[in-house]
Amino acid sequence: MNYIAEVDSLTFRVEMIDDHHVRFGDHVIEIDLAALGGQPLYSLVVDGESYEAYVYPEESSWQVILRGNSYTVNVEDERDRRLKSARKFADTRVTEFVLRSPMPGLIVDLPVENGSPVARGDILVILESMKMQNELTSPVQGKVAGVKIKKGDSVDLKQVLLYVEKEQP
Amino acid sequence: MFKKILIANRGEIAVRIIRACRELGVKTVALYSDADRQATHVRFADEAFHLGPSPARDSYLRIDKILEIAERSRADAVHPGYGFLAERSEFAAACEDSGLTFIGPRPSAIAAMGDKVVARDTVASAGVPVVPGTKGQDNLHDEELIHFASEIGFPLLIKAAAGGGGKGMREVRSLDQMPQLLHSARREAEASFGDGNVYLEKLIEDARHIEFQIMADQFGNAIHLGERECSIQRRHQKLIEEAPSPFIGEDEDLREKMGAVALQAAKSVDYANAGTIEFLVDKNKNFYFLEMNTRLQVEHPVTEAVTGYDIVAEQIRVASGWKLSRKQEDVERRGASIECRINAEDPYNNFIPSTGRITLTQLPAGPGVRVDTGINIGYEVSPYYDPLISKLIVWGETRGQAIARLRRALEEYRIVGVRTNIPFHQLILATYPFITGKYDTRFVEGQFSMADPAESRESYLDIAALLATLVAQDQSRKIKQEAPRPTNASRWKWSDRWKKVK
Repeated sequence: MNYIAEVDSLTFRVEMIDDHHVRFGDHVIEIDLAALGGQPLYSLVVDGESYEAYVYPEESSWQVILRGNSYTVNVEDERDRRLKSARKFADTRVTEFVLRSPMPGLIVDLPVENGSPVARGDILVILESMKMQNELTSPVQGKVAGVKIKKGDSVDLKQVLLYVEKEQP
Repeated sequence: MFKKILIANRGEIAVRIIRACRELGVKTVALYSDADRQATHVRFADEAFHLGPSPARDSYLRIDKILEIAERSRADAVHPGYGFLAERSEFAAACEDSGLTFIGPRPSAIAAMGDKVVARDTVASAGVPVVPGTKGQDNLHDEELIHFASEIGFPLLIKAAAGGGGKGMREVRSLDQMPQLLHSARREAEASFGDGNVYLEKLIEDARHIEFQIMADQFGNAIHLGERECSIQRRHQKLIEEAPSPFIGEDEDLREKMGAVALQAAKSVDYANAGTIEFLVDKNKNFYFLEMNTRLQVEHPVTEAVTGYDIVAEQIRVASGWKLSRKQEDVERRGASIECRINAEDPYNNFIPSTGRITLTQLPAGPGVRVDTGINIGYEVSPYYDPLISKLIVWGETRGQAIARLRRALEEYRIVGVRTNIPFHQLILATYPFITGKYDTRFVEGQFSMADPAESRESYLDIAALLATLVAQDQSRKIKQEAPRPTNASRWKWSDRWKKVK
């Protein structure tokens, strides 16, 4: 299988030869990858050089934390790439803002309710996590709809809290 | 000496106190909430008692339950650690009423220094310089505060009278921001401390946060153990502390002057046990009293590293009625020490708290390295408590050696299961202001960004690309293997057939 990896503005072509050899650009290199205690910590020995890194899956890419640096790497195999270019994207206009919890925590205050009009920057929810209170504000002007939580609720990371219907210009 | 000490705390500081007790031959009693059953402090202590549900108000803040457990376990003293009940004078008083020794100052000293307004007033009348503000004017209304705001001038800080740790604190740049920020500061102060009272203080710009460690016995003897530089902060939370301060450096006159003033502040409230006087120092070396923390500090290990003084053991000895083990002239400092606070938060995602089960942890070790942590494999980091999960402390003969060791140790440290701010520390330690010691409290928020690449970044682009590709391939292979999962029935069939073939 052939892969294309993009990081910053560089593109690397990676061809898997067998479990311990890849063609990386123009060179064939010897590799040995080991997952340490399960994901996401990996040890990689490449041509005798030893590296260790955290490799976290993100929505459509990978985050590699290596020697104190973070890299966002897009990896596609050749088939993905063909599919992607064939796919057509429908132009869907976003008409609502979805407020998701940026962290696990406790809803300490909910100054809005369904139908409340809000302006940009208005406080929607006050979320307490790890002893800090965080004000979650509306990035759009509109009307609150679909409140999914109430005061005192515990919420998880990325849980949908409420929607704001954007005011149509 | 005490026979048994109850530790009214959790996490790394509970572990630290247990270690001191062990060395002194004192038995320990740990407390735990639902969330902390697997925590290290529970496993290290001689005895452990369940306190209640995970939220602090139902567990670590329950004075009644804690005293009940103290009685049941026949502890003769209580160590409060930091946070939770450590600076609540009513807790110290309740301990004494129950015949327990509170390992800390007298309730009156906690009360005097605990209300930041009273504290400023007390030390100011003892001749200690304070930052201009609404000192000694308790319970001001919003209208009065807005009036004083124009008098003090902007920028200024709104601070919670009962506060600490940056909670209920707001920075105000102009008059029109005042009403809204007063409101949110009061709300946060009310939620954190049950007291929405706030005061104003002039914001000292280009300030450094330098504090002095005090130790006093019950016979009126008091010494200082030198300073700690704590200017690397984010949202008023300290992240890196060091001793000695690179700003004070070789200026022994300034160090002596500040140390003397710190002792004066402590004596103004008849202080006993360990305490810390925090100062703001401007670029012209003017220094102002900020507050006194009437308890053990998170960052006490850097002082221990350069003085060789076991602060927690001394707290226990002094509380049991011993005299200070050293005189001021016997306090020597050697080398340099730096501490990084390892928090469960994602530095690449606006430092949002990270929770989860720890599946792997590999502690750094080797020359000059110390780790104080309360987590272990299997422990679930929950949103109930503060995000500090570990402290990495190094010592070096010089500041340069300490920095090299710290960078080495940070790279060795592995924690899997939650995101940590270790990469933040690695980046900070590579910056010019940190290496040269020329930074102030604004450095992290003003000049530093996680998006600024370190010098080494370019060198590993290819390795990062290769790693991501190999992991991506590994994952997709696993998914493919898992896809046609045989049912139990067919597995039995296979096994049967295999036997026949054999």
